Amino acid sequence: MTRRSFALTAALILLAPVAASAQSGGVTRTRLPNGLTVLVRENPAAPVVAYSLMVKMGTRTETPDIAGISNLLQQMLVRGTEKLNGEQIAEAADRMGGSIDAYGDADYSEITATALSRNWQEMLELVGDCALRPTLPDGTVQTVRDFLVRQIRNRGDKPFDVASDKMRAALFGSNPYAWDPLGRRESVERLAREALVAYYRRYYVPGQMVLAVVGDVRTAEVIPQIQRIFGAMPAGTVASPAVPAPPAMAATREVAVVAGAQAQILMAALAPALTHPDHPPLKVLTALLGGGMASRFFSELRDQQALAYTTLAQYQARVDTSAFVSILGTAPENVPRAAPALTQQLERIRTQQASAEEVAVARAYVLGSQAMDRRTNARQAWYLAFYEVAGVGYEFLDRYAADVKKVTPADVQRVAQKYLDVLRTVIVQPK
Amino acid sequence: MIGSSRRLGVVAALALFVSGCAAAAQTAPPAAESSESAVPVVQVLPNGLTLIMQDHRAADIVAAYLWVATGVRYETPDGLGYAHFQEHMLFKGTDKFGPGYIDRTVEGQGGRSNAFTSFDYTTFQILVPSDGTRTALGLLDDMAFRSTFDPKEIDAERQVIFEEASIETDNPKSAVLRQLYGLVFSGHPYGRPVLGTPETMNAANQAKLKGFNSQYYTPENMVLVVVGPLGAKAVRAMVDEAFGRHPKTGYVPPPVPPLAPIKGMVRKTVERPEQQAHLALGWQAPSLSNPDSFALDLVATILGGSESARLQKNLRDGERIVSGINMSNSSMKLSGIVYVQAQLEAGDVAKVEQRILDEITRLQQEGPTEEERQLAVTKAESEHAFAYETTDGVASAYGLVQLSGTLDDELRYVERLRGVTREQIRDAARKYLPVTDYARIAFVPGKAK
Repeated sequence: MTRRSFALTAALILLAPVAASAQSGGVTRTRLPNGLTVLVRENPAAPVVAYSLMVKMGTRTETPDIAGISNLLQQMLVRGTEKLNGEQIAEAADRMGGSIDAYGDADYSEITATALSRNWQEMLELVGDCALRPTLPDGTVQTVRDFLVRQIRNRGDKPFDVASDKMRAALFGSNPYAWDPLGRRESVERLAREALVAYYRRYYVPGQMVLAVVGDVRTAEVIPQIQRIFGAMPAGTVASPAVPAPPAMAATREVAVVAGAQAQILMAALAPALTHPDHPPLKVLTALLGGGMASRFFSELRDQQALAYTTLAQYQARVDTSAFVSILGTAPENVPRAAPALTQQLERIRTQQASAEEVAVARAYVLGSQAMDRRTNARQAWYLAFYEVAGVGYEFLDRYAADVKKVTPADVQRVAQKYLDVLRTVIVQPK
Repeated sequence: MIGSSRRLGVVAALALFVSGCAAAAQTAPPAAESSESAVPVVQVLPNGLTLIMQDHRAADIVAAYLWVATGVRYETPDGLGYAHFQEHMLFKGTDKFGPGYIDRTVEGQGGRSNAFTSFDYTTFQILVPSDGTRTALGLLDDMAFRSTFDPKEIDAERQVIFEEASIETDNPKSAVLRQLYGLVFSGHPYGRPVLGTPETMNAANQAKLKGFNSQYYTPENMVLVVVGPLGAKAVRAMVDEAFGRHPKTGYVPPPVPPLAPIKGMVRKTVERPEQQAHLALGWQAPSLSNPDSFALDLVATILGGSESARLQKNLRDGERIVSGINMSNSSMKLSGIVYVQAQLEAGDVAKVEQRILDEITRLQQEGPTEEERQLAVTKAESEHAFAYETTDGVASAYGLVQLSGTLDDELRYVERLRGVTREQIRDAARKYLPVTDYARIAFVPGKAK
């Protein structure tokens, strides 16, 4: 750092109320006086920077009549502020050699931005402008809403999207995880500007927000600028609404027809939230069954039996009750053999303990996934912000990794018996 | 860019309950200097293999990418799809180990593997924590030189490839591009299906695939790129132990048929089950070794390569006659393709085609503004900088350019783009985008599949 920038930094800090900072693992966490959490990690590897501004708002804070509002609001934030219209926002990001985008997810909503690091300050201003001074112009709301309704319609063209929407609805019932972040056609069509404004005011409060910055920047220069841009927001927080519990698991089977060459088979069950002690062993189980190309689904169902082209298992880290989903994409004529083969895989992991070697590969796969997924600044910023918004802090990653390393074959079998004894099935195929 | 990846299906499916899972902080200490100042070390082994190494310390992850200069371009008409079939089979067992071993070994190290077949090259890619580098290099060597092509595995894998073909057919965005390549490069290997045809695939057997392997998988025909927190000396020693043991074969690349230019309009309309329509327009473009390719890159960016480009601004945001549109210039070894691809409502297909041509004509007449030129250069600079964030980004960039041009093209790319004038951009649009001679394909809703 140059002497000159240090002097500037010091001057700005004197002007603002003092923020509390703590540093660990190369990350500096600062809580601004108004409650906004800021995380900064310096990474000089390439001349770029990434921002993730997350808000504790998503499908989990929605009800069926406003399903999709979080995502619609996010899309609107980058389409007009007091200073710039949507076109000018896109142009500004292009000029900075970067991009800015926003979307809603299940537990959070994110504004994600990148830039050449020489433009770090200008991009920070733009992120602040979009988050703090959006205008939500009426005409644009209609355009974006129409666009999203078409996207929802287009999901009906894709066998996999149809299958996952049906599975989500079956697993979660009246719980908000039942719908995709895009929302439902009936609700999105009716979302008006007033509803968006009210929703924005409720959730865009600093106590609900986290800003993560990773890249070729200096922490001591970044924090005062964040304080200047975001410090003026009045303090506030809001409790997330109580949500209905998902229905109890039951063995159901649903078959739907979608034109297309491929058939999709999904078998799924409810699974614990990320804070639950069963989360790490169930992640290892998920990797063992359908994580990578060494997984049982891939090596047995695809490579040995040629019953599938796509086959994997997913279990996403969620703040609340999540789902374990096994997926198999295949030619329609394979369905009669592929579905029982998938069932058999899910049965075997409950009845026979996996070998120590197989579990070791799965543990390495889970840990490797994390390292691999965090190669870019944007993904690192995402991880920092997500765990903070989820209420466990970014240090959760270290605790989680330690827990994963301890998972034994007996643990894997125990969670298989606990969570995979009853399954829901959805099959989508052409005619 | 078009090609076929072994993991295509897995990647496509990740859209479901996506986003992150959780992670351990495994970042290597950053090097004192930024990677901007780092340059690759290039060495040619005595047996002819080209080794490109780069020290990169953003994370403790090594990218070991093997590139073989074989692809659809060298296939014979009765061997269509063999380059891609070969790629799949290299994961199916060697004389030392059976199928599944490579995946278990790589994933057991916390790593990932992938492979990809295109027109000019086939690439095998392993990402591992740095202490797994020797293992990764040994696996790549075994796959390339000791694969067994077990007939039973060939039969099973053939079904996987047929399934891969139906996935591609299901995805209109990739299917429309694939068919556009067929029109733009009609009669040339660049117009062929990467996945082959049912006839050629059914005829593939152990002898044929082994023959393909011994013909093309030779040290002289290989480029190995290793990027990560390792010095060149250490990498070279590990490579010598593996790839260095194979003798030179005297491989000479076979000749390639000449490319016929597009004359007049080549038009095709396909009825598809989707409700959304897709439109693609394509022209032949210069190869990477032709200096015009730099100006044409800027043409594509200015017209349709960024969020604020002309086609995005006018057709998507202003007139709202497309829901998505982009333009791209893709340079290959022998030629290139520049194309516009749009997603739209079926009733707007004719109007959108005309509007795309209008925008091209306007650029041919008036050229770009100075602001547009600068913006396009910044965009390229940014893509470059973001590719250098990760070891795999660097390994991809180096390998691709080594197989379709020279490494110097990559290292000096941004600098060369900066030197392109507004007049040169206008002239490239005039020369390469005739509005009277091009290929056009549309997917429209209909009953047919």
